[in-house]
Amino acid sequence: MTARLFAVGRAIAFVILALALCGVIFEFAGYSAPEMFQSIADGAFLNPGAWQGSLRWALPLFITATGVIISFRSGYFNVGAQGQFYIGAIGTTFVVDFMNGYPAALVIPLCFIAGIAGGAIWALWPGLLRVRSGADEVITTLMGNFIAGLILIYVTGGILKDPSGTGQVMASRPVAPAYRISSETGLSPTIVGAAIVVGVVMWILVNRSAFGVLAGLAGRNPIMIVWQGARMSRLGLAGFMLGGGLAGLAGAMEVLGPNGRLVSGFLPTLGFTAILIALVAGLSISGAAIVSLFFGGLASASLYLPVLAGLPAAAIDIINAAIALFITARAAPGLGWLAARRRAVGGA
Amino acid sequence: MNTGGQREAAVIEAIPSEAPSPSALQCRDISVQYGEVAALVGVSLAFAPKLIHAVVGQNGAGKTTFARVAAGLVKPVSGTLAIGGKEIPTGNVGLARAAGVELVHQNFALPPSFTVAEAMEFGAERGRPFFSRRGLEARWKKHLENLGVRAGLRDRIRDLPVEAQQGVEIARALVADAKVLILDEPTAVLSPSGIETLFERLKSLKASGVTIILILHKIREVLGIADTVTVLRGGRLVEGPVAARATNARRLSASIIGAQAEQEIAGDEAALVGATDEIKAAPVPAAVSQAAPVLAMERVFTRSDSEGPGLEEASLSIGRGEIVGVAGVEGNGQRTLVRVLANLVDAQSGRILLGGEDITKTPLSERRARGLRVIPFERNSEGLSLSSALWENWSARQLVLGSALKLINPARYRKACDASLKEWDVRYHTTAQPAGSLSGGNAQKLILAREIDADASLIIAAQPTRGLDVGATAFVWRALREARARGCAVLVISSDLDELFDISDRLIVMLSGRIVVEFRPPYRLGEVGAAMTGAH
Amino acid sequence: MEEFVIATLRYGTPLVYVTLAGVLAQRAGVWNLGLEGLMIIGCCAAVLGLVQTGSLLFGMALAVALCVIASALLWFVIEKLRANPIIAGLGMTGLGLGGTDLAVQAIYGSQATVNAPYGLPRLGTEFGDFGVLSVLVAAMPFVVFAFWALLRRTRFGLQLAASGEHPFAARSVGVSPARMRLIALCVGGVLCALGGAELALGSLTIFAYGMTAGRGFMAFSAVIFGAGHPIASVAASLFFAIVGALGIRAQLVFGDRVPNDLLLALPYIATVIGIWISARLRGGAKAASAFGELRDY
Repeated sequence: MTARLFAVGRAIAFVILALALCGVIFEFAGYSAPEMFQSIADGAFLNPGAWQGSLRWALPLFITATGVIISFRSGYFNVGAQGQFYIGAIGTTFVVDFMNGYPAALVIPLCFIAGIAGGAIWALWPGLLRVRSGADEVITTLMGNFIAGLILIYVTGGILKDPSGTGQVMASRPVAPAYRISSETGLSPTIVGAAIVVGVVMWILVNRSAFGVLAGLAGRNPIMIVWQGARMSRLGLAGFMLGGGLAGLAGAMEVLGPNGRLVSGFLPTLGFTAILIALVAGLSISGAAIVSLFFGGLASASLYLPVLAGLPAAAIDIINAAIALFITARAAPGLGWLAARRRAVGGA
Repeated sequence: MNTGGQREAAVIEAIPSEAPSPSALQCRDISVQYGEVAALVGVSLAFAPKLIHAVVGQNGAGKTTFARVAAGLVKPVSGTLAIGGKEIPTGNVGLARAAGVELVHQNFALPPSFTVAEAMEFGAERGRPFFSRRGLEARWKKHLENLGVRAGLRDRIRDLPVEAQQGVEIARALVADAKVLILDEPTAVLSPSGIETLFERLKSLKASGVTIILILHKIREVLGIADTVTVLRGGRLVEGPVAARATNARRLSASIIGAQAEQEIAGDEAALVGATDEIKAAPVPAAVSQAAPVLAMERVFTRSDSEGPGLEEASLSIGRGEIVGVAGVEGNGQRTLVRVLANLVDAQSGRILLGGEDITKTPLSERRARGLRVIPFERNSEGLSLSSALWENWSARQLVLGSALKLINPARYRKACDASLKEWDVRYHTTAQPAGSLSGGNAQKLILAREIDADASLIIAAQPTRGLDVGATAFVWRALREARARGCAVLVISSDLDELFDISDRLIVMLSGRIVVEFRPPYRLGEVGAAMTGAH
Repeated sequence: MEEFVIATLRYGTPLVYVTLAGVLAQRAGVWNLGLEGLMIIGCCAAVLGLVQTGSLLFGMALAVALCVIASALLWFVIEKLRANPIIAGLGMTGLGLGGTDLAVQAIYGSQATVNAPYGLPRLGTEFGDFGVLSVLVAAMPFVVFAFWALLRRTRFGLQLAASGEHPFAARSVGVSPARMRLIALCVGGVLCALGGAELALGSLTIFAYGMTAGRGFMAFSAVIFGAGHPIASVAASLFFAIVGALGIRAQLVFGDRVPNDLLLALPYIATVIGIWISARLRGGAKAASAFGELRDY
């Protein structure tokens, strides 16, 4: 219990440190840091209606973050959530376009499946490269993000392009109202329900299944688990594909939900933010639920800042980046060496 | 190797506190803390120049820590250090080296990808800081020749056999003019003949004026080479430096082990401190040979890879209730043997039978289900996940056997783990603490608790007591003997011949991937040593 | 053909400088995923410095200063706070991208492209067609050679390699791996500043948001591909540059017949293939140090 509290306290401390660094950067750029933070707080939580906005962003972030948590816990740095999100969204759009006219009860589940499959496939190839050949997954999934972004541009400018659009914006046809699962507010029983189901199922997977324990061990020491007879390929690929599938599910939900269509370059920071949530939450599913609200608030604020406060949305990106910079820190200078410094060489 | 054999006629007394010539190395009141653990407590020592001093103690006594303090690698929380009479600040390697102290590490401080020439250069202090490849080789050729190191200057460290690597490590320590050379457990990886060669080298270094401090833990070796002996136990100085002539194996053994522990380990004492030459193993219980062997390896071949040479025509059988020991210099295929039995490397040809059934192609999880258990070489990287909880480490074996999607109740596993750890006498607070917080001995017991269960039929124990203190070592031996008594077949791989002599019912020797000879008790050190180096 | 060589050199020179920065860090034991962020800081600082003061020298100095400071911060977070280098590097990249965005918006009020009055000095007409190349391009082979010599033919280079490969060995000869990493990262910062300046001011004279477009990650991949060896890594980065230049050229040649975006994706695809090949060459599915943890024992 105390270990948990300590971890939470440490996370909070480093978030505050990150915010302090951001304050310095804001001032250096000529903005007033207090004004900046106040506006962010307004946009995230304090203004009337801010909570809905924050929750709207928190839901897809949470779903994606659970996938990231599972991947990371399995020991694989799958940082391709953004690309997996995009490919899932693209898959969904194809299905909803192709199956226009069929009953919603058939189309919507198929869209979800397409989204999950799309994301899982986009995680499968870096997973295979890693598990079979040892190709580092950080680079391959990062590159996957760039490639997926280009694929998105390609399909929204080509096959899926909305013919009635102005031609400037690259987006697909709007999804037929019958297939929408929420309005622009992004809050609907379907979406909230999906998030809850995902949360519960993933929590059970992580905390109450053999996979959870084994993947956790594999994440911290894959060599040991191999000596126990586990097949790293299976554990690892499962982790990858779950991560991708959940990001793809978030993509499906965004297209059928608040976005209502597929837009080139939409939600460009979802993936990175989901990774942050996973880290700040210490790779805990229940923690991620709470932390998602915080980052959802930041995302909401990033819309508010330029529109209502005249401040650049880049401020939010900087906050996220600063948190990423510090959040994995494990020590603070001045507190001496970490207590249990193992004697690495046998004996003394 | 004889006890008390060659010794100089010079008179060597216990060092009085006011020595006529300044001590080569003197430390006062050194204390070292690693977090909550006190590695050294108030150690004060003085070593006379131009002699060979042995510092002895069991694993965990503080010997390596002491060596590192002397070399400036570890900064003590208190205490002073003086070299050749001049005090130097602690915790500074540069100053220690400048004063002439060099340390030869147990696990070789040599980057594996470096060539031998590069390994000499990166620690050098004189000469131009830039070089051409040929110039580098010319620069260090003489140095290696003078020391009799047989390794090509272009060879990469990782490609050298262990004994050559140690030669390079010693050469590295001698690139600058060393006045005090400290060697940390240099004999652990050597064959008996390798130990003799090393001792010859050390004697000629001593003759050229270098003061030598040897960290050892086998009494036989101490009495074979050292002029003085110092004993550490539990981070404290027990006695010394005393003249080697003035002490004997029994007294040293008592100092090393200490009074309390002596009761626990009666019977194994000599083996634990490496104090005898010829050791008889306990007679094999009669019931063994008739039944079908638990393990039968038939002419197994494997390819060599980065982790070791391939097996060549390895045939081995172990019966129920039998302990077979595997001796050999590290890197001669022992690791490959374990890995092929654990299916971490494929058998190119040949068969492996477990309990009569062919398992040559079955995966490790299946082999484990049939009773195979492995205590791996590297406790910390292969045996445990240090940052994971005790209960998770303990449960891993069972969880792997079932389906990954099986729903589990962690509380149940925590309780089972609790019960098991108590049975194995592991010292811990809660099963939720990370495995890395356990001491070496307790960590090894955790592994034993996990691996040695009622369904085990073949236990492979690779270096099971490496780094463990005397009490934990004796505990492991007891556990293996109990497993044998229950009918398990046990395969023990070890670099410690005393250990193998003490517990093996049969002893095989590996050399270059082959099982070259099998011995039955009584084992003779000379014969086994010769087999290990192929000199028979 | 000449045009193609020029295009490759233009695409490749920033990559090479940043790759060398990555090589330095890699040899010291740090997986520097902040290269992308450092590079764009170099771009932005060079351009903004030049625009605000009219002095190219000031712009370059500003770029170098900011990149070194950012590198030192990254070192501090990784070494003293023991953060995970991969996440911290990604965070630094985010800081670079966001920070440069913020700076532009602060000065110009919007995410506009900033035009610089002039760029880096060119080689000049005596070099014929190659005269359009900047001095940094011309300097590139010398810089590569200098770093190769430093890393492979000096004692410092050996000590740096020891710091990364076997920190204990480094400490046992009195070298501080932490200090080596600081030096490696800061010198790398200078190289990233140069690479960024070349990208922004070498052939173009602009700064645009996100103009690095993943080059920093490509450079990192080149380092992995070359296993941290300076020449091999530079060769890999030049290979990526060739693919990149081919892509741009193919856009001009093929135009509508092949989707633009596919061609733009070529360097990223090449990077993935490169990583895969280098992993296979190195022995298959060994556990790559995905966590990039620093060891210090």
